Formats: sequence, C-alpha cells, structure tokens
Amino acid sequence: MEVFTTLIPYILRGLNITLGVTAIALGFGLVFGTLLAITRVYGNKTAARLISVYVSVIRSLPHVLLLLIIYFLIARIVNLSPYWAGSLSLAIISSAYQSEIVRGAILSVESGQMIAARSIGMTRNQAIRHVIIPQAIRHMIPPWSNEAAIVIKDSSLVYILGVPEIMRQAQYYSGRNPTKPFNAYLAVAVIYFMLTFLTNRGLDALEKKIRIPS
Amino acid sequence: MDPKTNSIIKIEDLHKSYGQEEVLKGVSMEIAEREVVILVGPSGTGKSTLLRCINQLTTPDSGHVWVRDVELTDPKTNIDLARQHIGMVFQSFNLFNHLTALDNVMLGLIHVLKQDKEAAREKAMLELERVGLANKHMNYPGQLSGGQKQRVAIARSLAMEPVVMLFDEPTSALDPELIGEVLVVMKDLALEGMTMLCVTHEIGFARDVSTRIVFMEHGNIVEQGPPSKILNNPSLERTKQFLGKISDLH
Repeated sequence: MEVFTTLIPYILRGLNITLGVTAIALGFGLVFGTLLAITRVYGNKTAARLISVYVSVIRSLPHVLLLLIIYFLIARIVNLSPYWAGSLSLAIISSAYQSEIVRGAILSVESGQMIAARSIGMTRNQAIRHVIIPQAIRHMIPPWSNEAAIVIKDSSLVYILGVPEIMRQAQYYSGRNPTKPFNAYLAVAVIYFMLTFLTNRGLDALEKKIRIPS
Repeated sequence: MDPKTNSIIKIEDLHKSYGQEEVLKGVSMEIAEREVVILVGPSGTGKSTLLRCINQLTTPDSGHVWVRDVELTDPKTNIDLARQHIGMVFQSFNLFNHLTALDNVMLGLIHVLKQDKEAAREKAMLELERVGLANKHMNYPGQLSGGQKQRVAIARSLAMEPVVMLFDEPTSALDPELIGEVLVVMKDLALEGMTMLCVTHEIGFARDVSTRIVFMEHGNIVEQGPPSKILNNPSLERTKQFLGKISDLH
C-alpha cells in the first residue's frame, strides 16, 4: 500500500520536470538541428564543414560529459536555472543527432523535386519550405522516433545537476528508505517505458496519418 | 549583335563543360514566336544540357541566352522572375509527390504569382481540364499513370502562362501505350501557337507539328531545317543515318 500512497506520488512529482526537459530538448533540438541540416545541405562549404565538425564532436563524446561541459559553459554566460540550462544542454546534444536525421531525410527527396520547383520560378527558400521539407518530414519520422526515445531517457541525466526529475526523485526516495531501493527504481523504469512506448506509438500514428496516398 | 529581336529565345555561343568533357561547344540558336523546334541527336550530345542552360537550371560556362530580350546569363537578372515564364517538362515528370494534381498546379500560382487561393484553384482546374485530367484533380502523383503524371506536369507549367515551353524527353520514360496521350496534349499546344523547344525522338510528332528540326551531335548543331527537308532529304549522311535508326525504332 505504501507504494501507492507515498512512493508513486513522490516520484510523479518529478514527472512534469521529466516531460519538460524532454520537450525542451527535443523541440529546440529539432529547430536547431533542422537549421543545421539545411545549412549543411544548401549552405556554403565553410558552414557545411563547420557543422560537420560540430556534429562529429558531439557524436563522439558521452552525453553525460557533454551535459556537464555545456552546462558550465552556459552557466558562465547567462544565469539560467539548472532546469533550463540542463534542458538546453540536452537540446544542443540532440541537435547534432537530429541534424543528421533531417539531413538524411532532405537528401532522400529526389533531386528532381528541387529542379521542378525552381523551374516554375520558386526561389530556393520557397522550394525548401514548400517542396523539400514537407516530403522530408515523412522520411524523418521513423529515425526521429528513435531519437525521441533516446532523449526521453537522456532527460534523466539532468539529475546530476540536481534537477528533481523522476530519476532524482527515485534516488531521494531510495535514500530515505534504504531497505527497499528496488521499488523506487522499478517505478521509474515503468514510467520511462510508458513514456517511450506512448511516444513511439503516437509517432507511428502520425506517420500513417501523413503518409502520401499511392 | 543587337539582342533586341522579335525572337522568343536567342542563344549565342553557349559553352558548357563537365570536368574534362565539353558538352556544349559554342551553340547558337534563335527561336521565333510560335515556332516548334525539335532537338534530336544521339544521347550525350548536350541536348538536355542546352535546355537546362536556357532557364539556367544549369549555368553555362560562357555565352549568352536571352528569353524575350531579357538576358538570363546576365548576373543582374532576377532568374526566379525569368523562370516563371519558361515552362519546363521533364523526362521523369518531377511532380511534387506530397501534393494532389490540383495542388501541384496551384503551388506556383500561390507562392510565385501570389494569386489568392480561389483564383489559383480556378486557374489550376482550367489547366487540368486542358490536359484532360480535371477528374483526377484530387489524385496524388502516386495514384496516376506515367502519362497522366506528365500531363499534370504540363498543366503545372502552363498555369504559369509561359512564353515558351521546354520539353526534355517528355515521353522517354513512358510505356509505349501511354506516349500517345502526352503527344496529343503537346500537339494541341503547338496548334494553339505555343512556342516550343522539344528534345524528343518522336519522329511522327516532329513531322506533324514541328517547324524546324535541329540535329545535334558532340555539343554542336550539325544540321537544321524544316522537317520535310531534314526527314526526307538531309544534307549530311550522318543526319540521315541517325534519323534512319530512330525511325526504325518507332
């Protein structure tokens, strides 16, 4: 009974934070990653080269290490709460992965689509916006769904900054009830599973909904 | 030379190389209003490149192109504005895959010509009717046959009210039984007085509607003239040989 009266409410107090961190990391990561991808595909060579370095550096380092580095960089420049600084750090990490997802999706759109758009007088930006991106989004969902699952779980990393998300809450709880550490961790495991499962289901449904009829 | 002429397209000494290979070796050509010019020649002789160098989808290395007295090779020219009036039809159709036939035709009207949605829709329906596909306006490209796709692509170009239409092997990717419906649409266009430049091996079409056949080889125009002359009595043995080969196929 204690599980339902104390443990679960205690952990759920961190759920909003977990959801918030995930949404910020995925959302900003998507916007930033998309800009990186578009610049890398359509921008000048120097910019493309810089972005490719950025992406490979981030992909080569452990997320927990990056989180600490970026967090302390951000903390030097602006005064943000650990919640925002941590979330934005995860967004920066995710942007590197998401830029690769978006880039792959853009490159998978047939080259004739851009040519046809330009041939009716669209500018390159119009073509990207109205022809390339709408098609790229459809190619993007399956790999993006994978990244979403990773970011949901990575949101737990902000616990090292003291942000009280569900993982941190579980740890507190276990600390106070050292005889039963298992219960708290099992409860967060169930929550992460549910979040990932529901997100992937939602994205599957979205993918079916916007599939181009053929 | 004074570029102010009554021609629709004027090309002067166009050169284009890809790496070591010179694809266009100084092509010059003029196309007058209402002319239907057929470009033939073996593959790899620069026919498609020439077409793409006209609307600057490919940038020529040197030479000049004017369309209606606007020099497109002038870096100061707004190329997007110029392309609005140069229709182009591709071998692989290149319909926008995520849009219905109607939206394919409407996209340029809305975003390029800035028409409001109602006007664009009306115009797009008219153009689809013109190619005989009004009843397919809600179909996506994936739900259309090759011939239907190409007719939608033609409607998409026509909606922009081009001064000239460029066709880049419009029937080469089609099953034989679908070629006819596209040629019918192209023939109607020619009869309505559209200025056209077509890369095609459809000799029957060339004979029926073209005003001139241009034979290209190795990046140069080798011979040109009215279809009666080129098809029946070409000056060069090479032209005769080539046309003989493609007539055998059709």
